[in-house]
Amino acid sequence: MAGFVEKLLGLDRRWIFLLVLLSVATPIVFPIGLPVTTSGPTRSAFEYIEALTPGDVVWISFDYGPSSAPENDPMAEAVMRQCFLKKVRVVVTALYPLGALGIANNVLAKLNAEFPGLRYGEDYVNLGYKDGAAAVMRRLGEDISGAFPTDANGRPIGELPLMRDVPDIRHVKVIVTVATGTIGEWWITQVRAQIGTPVIIGPTAVSAPKYYAYLNAGQLVGILGGMKGAAEYEKLLASRHPELAGFYRTTHTFTATKGMDGQTVIHTVILVFILVGNLAYMKSRMKRRGA
Amino acid sequence: MNLEFGRVALVVLFALIPIAGIVMGLQASALRTRIPILIGVFAGVIPILSLYIPKQFLSGQTGMSPRLDQWLIIVYAFALLLGVVNVLQNSLRRIRRREKGWPFSAVLLTGLFVTGGLGVYGAVSRQGIGYRPDGSATPFQWITDHFFQPLQSTIFALLAFFMASAAFRAFRARNTEASILLLAGGLVMAGRVPLLEFLAAPFPPLQPAAAGASQALGKLTEWIMDTPNGAAQSGIIIGAALGAASMAIRVILGIERGYLGVGKGE
Repeated sequence: MAGFVEKLLGLDRRWIFLLVLLSVATPIVFPIGLPVTTSGPTRSAFEYIEALTPGDVVWISFDYGPSSAPENDPMAEAVMRQCFLKKVRVVVTALYPLGALGIANNVLAKLNAEFPGLRYGEDYVNLGYKDGAAAVMRRLGEDISGAFPTDANGRPIGELPLMRDVPDIRHVKVIVTVATGTIGEWWITQVRAQIGTPVIIGPTAVSAPKYYAYLNAGQLVGILGGMKGAAEYEKLLASRHPELAGFYRTTHTFTATKGMDGQTVIHTVILVFILVGNLAYMKSRMKRRGA
Repeated sequence: MNLEFGRVALVVLFALIPIAGIVMGLQASALRTRIPILIGVFAGVIPILSLYIPKQFLSGQTGMSPRLDQWLIIVYAFALLLGVVNVLQNSLRRIRRREKGWPFSAVLLTGLFVTGGLGVYGAVSRQGIGYRPDGSATPFQWITDHFFQPLQSTIFALLAFFMASAAFRAFRARNTEASILLLAGGLVMAGRVPLLEFLAAPFPPLQPAAAGASQALGKLTEWIMDTPNGAAQSGIIIGAALGAASMAIRVILGIERGYLGVGKGE
């Protein structure tokens, strides 16, 4: 037994890597279809956008890069699907320097294919990337054209009909920041706290815990925490909008609901690792004490 | 020309005084640090005053504070340029001296020039850096889609392997604090996914009980995130904010001078 414990503690990490690979890859190839339960922070975010009326404006900021795209992409896509379905207009920005604009372009291209009737400049605009996130946010309270004189393709924003209705960020009903790192926090401290525009955040799972402080303080409408939050949002969308229920059931593209299968399996594997590692550690400690 | 008070004040504070300081600094070396401190004081005090003094020249749409915000965006862009210069200097030195791993520096510079060049080309040719109206990708977007995004995703995906390995080797209940952390972490990990339903999947009679237990675990997880975690995070955020405020006051008062590159204050 003692030999087994020592062997376990000295397990070659390549075996662990192999197990992780199989645990993540298998559910992607063979989906399990595990159920998703919704939580309060996601429901309040969903209901807030659901209560908006056609013509309202939602600001969606792509504040993440390709590294967290599997978690964040489904959030951005789900919120935009909801907006476009409800004829809510969308302003897109990208404040994260490492590839956020490329991701925003890809998501918009995907959504354009799903909603062929969308008109650029009227139903949505893409203002592109701007460096200096906190400074940009502060400027948005005065006038958007001061921070974004042109859209992502260099067209003056005065030429875009949508932007004529949104001179500053106060005219936006809610900001949805899909974020990794601290940019999401700046939307709360620079815009929600100082200007008053409500904020919904879609952080990666690893940074979600810190946003509960802002949620408790009433400075956030809701949180879509990691892939779980995105999967919850997809479930709420599917339950409220039958056309999207069909889409999420049949689509071949990656969705958070599909991703949750892999996440469940890998969480299980990591928990087993922790349990086994601790059992082996306790056993070896008891042995040392006995000696 | 519109001679608003705010505009004139900004020109005096951030152009005339620095220029006068540079000229005088050539004569008296002590002034070389005084003037940057003065600029720091002005830049720090104006946004604070604008929050408390609702005067047009300070906080109005074209007041001093919004103009400073505008300048800040421009300064950030220059910071990017500094980053590029720094990468160039370091990489070129490594290549010139044939230091270990110099081919990686060559790849880095190639990526920098090709991607940056295509970005500039997109701006100059007015086709942008996203998709063209016909749906085809611009060269910059093509690079993003086929190089940058897959590479970034790959690097981050490797984290899963190291996290699993670390969970096995390092996440140990060595003492009471570590045990509490371990328990809370384990509960949240289990509660954020339908773990019990997954484990009960091969045993249909157990599935209703698993679903009920999973709901209870989910609620416990929400409570952990909301209450102990929320409280701790509030404390951390307030502490960090107080630290940032005190640091800002030190800069405004000229006590903190590290940013001048002349030591850590007097």
